Amino acid sequence: MVDKIYRTFVDATQNVFNLMLNISDISDHPAENFNCDSEIDIAIGVIGDLQGEVVYRFPASTSINMVKLMSGMQFDEVDAFVTSAISEIANIISGNVLTALSGSDLTCDILPPVQTKIDEQKEYDIKTSCCISTTIGAICLEIRLNKAA
Amino acid sequence: MLWRDNYELGVPVIDAQHKELFRRVESFLQVLRSADNWEEKVNKINETLDFMKMYVVEHFRDEEEYQKSIGYPGYEKHKQLHIGMVEYVQEFCKQYEESNNSEQLMQQFGGRLLAWLINHVAAEDQRIADYAIKKGMSGNGR
Ligand SMILES: [Fe+2]
Repeated sequence: MVDKIYRTFVDATQNVFNLMLNISDISDHPAENFNCDSEIDIAIGVIGDLQGEVVYRFPASTSINMVKLMSGMQFDEVDAFVTSAISEIANIISGNVLTALSGSDLTCDILPPVQTKIDEQKEYDIKTSCCISTTIGAICLEIRLNKAA
Repeated sequence: MLWRDNYELGVPVIDAQHKELFRRVESFLQVLRSADNWEEKVNKINETLDFMKMYVVEHFRDEEEYQKSIGYPGYEKHKQLHIGMVEYVQEFCKQYEESNNSEQLMQQFGGRLLAWLINHVAAEDQRIADYAIKKGMSGNGR
């Protein structure tokens, strides 16, 4: 189950980078320690057969590169525009994951993206993280979900 | 430039509209992201926002008509995506007015619009084009 969820998120992320940013050179590995100078954490709440959240950790440099690529415009810092654009990307990836999971009889819904700080302490049935590396930088996904009782 | 050739779907009638849509969004974003201070550019932004909004609604309607004309099976689902975006834009405009033209809100709107639009064209609209091409109807303009 953990593997399947992990794979679904990685595939959806790769797909979105491919379609939206035209980036196909992407690799993934489990994230033991994902460190960067400054990052924006975007949480997408999950409700339904799975409950919890997925936190997308976007380093500032990756975020800026993504928005530059999408807009063809210059960006120097992570502001409200950049944060909102990458929040929408987290939303799109998560939506695509749910569509993929509904094919294997898991019915879930997502909540609007919110900026967050990760709480490392809590325990979950499904707790895994993956780092996705691309030519414009890495992002890390923290998946924290419980199966509905 | 906002438009990229890989967004081209191979259905001339949709591609032409998408290019126009991207042109309008681009001119809106250029004002939004210009170095001028907010007070100087807010009127121009409100103008380009209105201009863009009108075209978005028009384009969605035309695209839905096109889907119907080729018997696209995902029509209802796609229409819901358009409705969802129009509702978001309306809700945003209401909040923006109430906030007395908050720059922060408008920057948030711009970022979300950019990502939404690119995904919509690159992923969702592509499905319409795939269907049209499969059915040999991609040349069917109105
Ligand atoms: Fe569309």
